[in-house]
Amino acid sequence: MNEFVERLVDLRWPSAVKPAYDVVIIGGGGHGISTAYYLATRHGITNVAVLEKSYIGSGNSGRNTTIIRANYGIPEAVRFYQRSVDLYESLEAETGRDVMHHTKGLLWIAHSEAGVRQERARAEVNTAFGARTEYVSPRQIQEICPQLDMTGQGQWPIYGASYHPAGASARHDRVVWAYAEGAMRLGVDIHQHTSVTGLQKSGDRIVGVETTAGPISAGIVLSAVGGHVTAIAAMAGVRLPIRTHQLQAFVTNRYAHTFAPIVASSGLGVYASQTAKGEMLIGAEIDRAPAYAYDAGHQFIRSCAFRSIALLPFLRDLKLLRQWTGVCDMSTDYSPVMGFTGAPGFLVTTGWGTWGFKAIPVGGEQMAALIATGRTPELIAPFSLDRFANDRTMADRGSAGTH
Amino acid sequence: MHAPKPLTATRVAATCAALDSASWPAGAIVLRTAPDEAIVLVPTKDIEPGLIADPHAIVEIESSLCGIWLDADDAHDLLERECDWETPSARPAFAQGAVAGLPVKLWFEHDRVLFVVSAVFANDFMERCR
Amino acid sequence: MSKESVLAHLWQQQGDPTRGGSVCAAGDCQSCLATIDGIAYTRMCRTPWRDGMHVEPHPHGDQLPALESRGNRAATIARTMHCDVVVIGQGSAGLAAAAEARALGRDVVTLDTGDGQDAIGIYPGPLVVARTDAGMWHLYPRIEIVVATGAAEIQPVVPGNDLRGLVTARAAESLSAAGIDLGRIVAVGTPPREVACTVAVGALVRFEASATDASRVGAVIARDDRGVEQRHVCDTVSLGLGLAPRDALLRMARGTNVHGVGDVLRAPDLPPCPTAGIVCACLGVTVDDLRSVHARGFHELELVKRATLAGTGPCQGAACVPHVRAFLAAQGAALQPPFTARPLTRQITLGEVAAGAHHVATPRTALDAEHRALGAQMERLGGWWRPWHYGDVDAEYHAVRTAVSLCDVSTLGKMQVSGPGAVALLEHLYPVPIVSLKPGRSRYVLLLDERGYVIDDGMVCRDGETRFTLTFTSGGSTFAELWIRDWAESLNADVRIMNQTTSLGAINVTGPRATKLLALAGVTTPPAFLHHDTLDVAGICCRVFRLSFTGEVSYELHHAAADSVVLWRRLMELGRDLGIRPHGLEALMKLRLEKGHVIVGQDTDFDSTPRRLNHEWAVRLEKPAFVGRHAVIRTNAIPLDRQLCGFEMDGIAPAEGATIWHRDAFAGYITSATWSPTMRRSVMLGWLHLSNGELPTIITIDGRPARRVATPFYDPEGARARA
Ligand SMILES: Cc1cc2nc3c(=O)[nH]c(=O)nc-3n(C[C@H](O)[C@H](O)[C@H](O)COP(=O)(O)OP(=O)(O)OC[C@H]3O[C@@H](n4cnc5c(N)ncnc54)[C@H](O)[C@@H]3O)c2cc1C
Repeated sequence: MNEFVERLVDLRWPSAVKPAYDVVIIGGGGHGISTAYYLATRHGITNVAVLEKSYIGSGNSGRNTTIIRANYGIPEAVRFYQRSVDLYESLEAETGRDVMHHTKGLLWIAHSEAGVRQERARAEVNTAFGARTEYVSPRQIQEICPQLDMTGQGQWPIYGASYHPAGASARHDRVVWAYAEGAMRLGVDIHQHTSVTGLQKSGDRIVGVETTAGPISAGIVLSAVGGHVTAIAAMAGVRLPIRTHQLQAFVTNRYAHTFAPIVASSGLGVYASQTAKGEMLIGAEIDRAPAYAYDAGHQFIRSCAFRSIALLPFLRDLKLLRQWTGVCDMSTDYSPVMGFTGAPGFLVTTGWGTWGFKAIPVGGEQMAALIATGRTPELIAPFSLDRFANDRTMADRGSAGTH
Repeated sequence: MHAPKPLTATRVAATCAALDSASWPAGAIVLRTAPDEAIVLVPTKDIEPGLIADPHAIVEIESSLCGIWLDADDAHDLLERECDWETPSARPAFAQGAVAGLPVKLWFEHDRVLFVVSAVFANDFMERCR
Repeated sequence: MSKESVLAHLWQQQGDPTRGGSVCAAGDCQSCLATIDGIAYTRMCRTPWRDGMHVEPHPHGDQLPALESRGNRAATIARTMHCDVVVIGQGSAGLAAAAEARALGRDVVTLDTGDGQDAIGIYPGPLVVARTDAGMWHLYPRIEIVVATGAAEIQPVVPGNDLRGLVTARAAESLSAAGIDLGRIVAVGTPPREVACTVAVGALVRFEASATDASRVGAVIARDDRGVEQRHVCDTVSLGLGLAPRDALLRMARGTNVHGVGDVLRAPDLPPCPTAGIVCACLGVTVDDLRSVHARGFHELELVKRATLAGTGPCQGAACVPHVRAFLAAQGAALQPPFTARPLTRQITLGEVAAGAHHVATPRTALDAEHRALGAQMERLGGWWRPWHYGDVDAEYHAVRTAVSLCDVSTLGKMQVSGPGAVALLEHLYPVPIVSLKPGRSRYVLLLDERGYVIDDGMVCRDGETRFTLTFTSGGSTFAELWIRDWAESLNADVRIMNQTTSLGAINVTGPRATKLLALAGVTTPPAFLHHDTLDVAGICCRVFRLSFTGEVSYELHHAAADSVVLWRRLMELGRDLGIRPHGLEALMKLRLEKGHVIVGQDTDFDSTPRRLNHEWAVRLEKPAFVGRHAVIRTNAIPLDRQLCGFEMDGIAPAEGATIWHRDAFAGYITSATWSPTMRRSVMLGWLHLSNGELPTIITIDGRPARRVATPFYDPEGARARA
């Protein structure tokens, strides 16, 4: 029997779009759906619609490299993502669904004195804010991951690393489905193949959406779209400090499960892990200069394969199966943007860039609390949109632009 | 490949018009790296004041470039392996871009090609093009 | 195949080498995968046989090939070729297309899998990437790409379809043509040409195992025209079940000038809705699995794929997609288009795909060999290879504080700007007055972006009325050039710009005996503090800048890069009796930290305003216009939240990154820390949060008490640098 066939989730789709909901969520990615789930399960708010222009999880939530970690560089982020790490650890127990969550441990490797400095700093701030990360020596690194070439093929010697035992992964689609099933079971309507084409206004207030399935009134509209968020926000008269970049990844065929941890290298700009299926899954840092993106598809895979072999020589003879691209909404300070927008009735959860899969549980939980109470929870207050106007940006240079 | 050798050169930043109309020393190889910049493979003392009609021109010794001539066939082989972009077919011709992943300037003559690389990458260039 | 394939060779020698499932012998299915000479997932049908080859057919089931690459392997060569037309596939349609293009005088490159050339993808460019027996080819067609990859045969999905002895009709033809005896052949559907066989009329129902070998087919059951099941005993079943275009390349090339010819354009045959059997042999997905997920709400082709993983194995859906589409259509949905086509259409190793790639090169200064000869540990720092230390950081530090030392600062960004528009341009770029700077004088400057954040720092040195030298940090010089050229362009400034970062070497001569060393090098009237001059130093023409980062008297000698080694050696020689020794970056970090100097990138953040950096003195808001002015004025009106401060404490230095606490509340973190040999305590820079509108003074770092203090820690009056 094929263990990868989803045998538990039962998606009961709603029949028709209702003319009005208390809450309309635009975008059936992880964030939109988990928000609906927590509205229903934690706050009893079930008159909720999630509108997805394609199928659920068709955006980045179904095409990321599924790395879950809390080893960020600033206290606000460490606390926030640690909450998500914890929610992920209990997600299977809570939903009764197998999301293939595996705690693997994450090594973030330094190849220079400057890199060592950065990884030590990461360990300091993580430890202070409740995420376990320790600085480890080359000997400890070899014990954790014997496959690493400690000399980096003579060019990228490994000086040390930070080690984050809670580093984990989960199957992206299954996370989306587990939340979708749970939400729909409690009465949330998830409408696939329903695109939002406009917003309804009454004075300043956003009071509903125009969709390919007709107009829908809403008490609250939450934009959880990916890729086109600035266009949707502009309809509400809200400007977002978001730019969209491409991010790519690739997988190999399936091989015996012998690569336990997640390994990342800032010096080489790559990270690797082995999926439950047995594929080696490899990603890179985001292309910071859009002008460099000429021929990105092939240049990316050629260079990324080359760099990952320098770190993990066993990759050389593995067969590459597939490569793909996602479009990432990057905020100018590399942190998410969540909550009120200044347009009454219109909220956003965006700026998930290259790191938002791990935040699906906490993002949904906190946005649901915000919608239910009308107040911004303390955990996400630092990530509100007005931080840009108020000179309170959340720059996280240590972990920006990657998994 | 042999190590690229230091080149004697002069770098000139001036208006586009001044560079277009400059009467360079006879026989000098002129690499027009940008509309407002040229690298001339002659000693700086040979660039006489008046030669460039721009009183604000910056004329400096450029001692950090290395070069190696390859005959046309060897150059073709090397470029086929190490250059992703299409090089010009006219002769003589100048082109610049990544070769072996390094910034390289190329001067094409009928039967040979000059590869010019900054000394800061000269070692890498030699190792990569072996 | 121009040469005998591994599949044909082994079949000839030892009988069917596959482990079950229908074989296409055309590179479309996964039935003949093997580990060949250490490389798993290699198709036997696409690999030419060589004597001595080691072939291990893949086992079925859960056993996966080892995650390893054994031994050494010669690096794959990559070639880039530019041509007019690339024709992919050299069947009859592809041959004709190539001939036609050639007749028009076009430069044509053809690829055919029979010649060991597999196109693996079409990328923007347009770029066709192919794996060939001679290495990787990167083909850039100027005019167009012709895809003539034909069609693949549809595989059977019925019970027993994992048995051995099942071949497609074309496989029956090619294997027979290779002289392989397939025994009694029964053909279902379109029979193979020129192969002796019995034809089983009607629709395929199932395969039955042979009585003597449970892994092999013994009979095929077909339902005849009258609806009656007929059993046909056989050794091999030939399956002619229709064709599906091999159009993945065509579909992934959207937006480039590509067109298909021949069978690749045909509409796919839709097989009957499968009722039982394995649909996706790569992942072992059955028709029951399809039913099960469909009944639980997975209706889209994409969702069915994701819920079963059908189509995510080595054949990338070539075998299963026609059947999954047929299944979904039979459930009443509209026929759904196949999966998005993405590279790679043929699998190659990471080593192959990486062919010809290089690491980002880290530049070396002209003194690189000199440092190594002196025993330096070289480090990548600020984008360059730099000496971290020469074996004795303490001695290097003391050489600067008590004698004289050299430091290679060639990595600094260096730029000349000249022209009538130079003053106006620099006034716009920098937050301090430029017009008042006298020729021969230098000034420290911050570079701000439009948001008022510090993006770099350096010096502005005025060389003449209309001429300036600018310096930038080592890591910032590439960006700075783009920044300044962009602004020059936007403002239409009448200037000439020359980035001399790699053209000039720079050596910093620093220490209380620096002036003495310069005198020995022939400099009798060195420039005063923050002045500069062009001088002969030990026979080398240098621009000498008097500034200080270490806190001691310092002269920065800029010179033609080719002269660096001679200058360095002469200075080392002349300074011998003065106690000279070079210092690396580790000592420099200590020296500058004692002076409280900020390193942009280490001590600053993405959003460091001058006020946050405690550098308001470096911004003159009375200047009417400069980049970032509006933002600085706007943010200055908002209460300050944190500031970069100096700290000191007893005992060893904490880790850089250590958190700062004020009465049990988080109050910031350390960006730079070092034990100061001169002050006999640890000195630090770090971000400190205001508490009730004030910067706390007594704080805790690393669990130890610490104090916020004013910087510089060392020689606060700056007397030593000016001496
Ligand atoms: C290659 C890659 C690797 C990554 N790796 C990681 C990783 O390892 N760890 C990690 O934490 N994160 C990772 N990420 C980031 C992560 O995938 C995203 O941040 C996350 O999935 C965002 O979820 P979302 O729900 O906000 O957006 P999405 O999943 O993109 O969902 C948005 C949805 O909105 C829908 N939509 C858009 N417009 C409309 C409209 N007008 N009407 C209705 N619906 C609309 C879209 O169809 C889409 O389904 C990676 C991303 C990529 C591309």
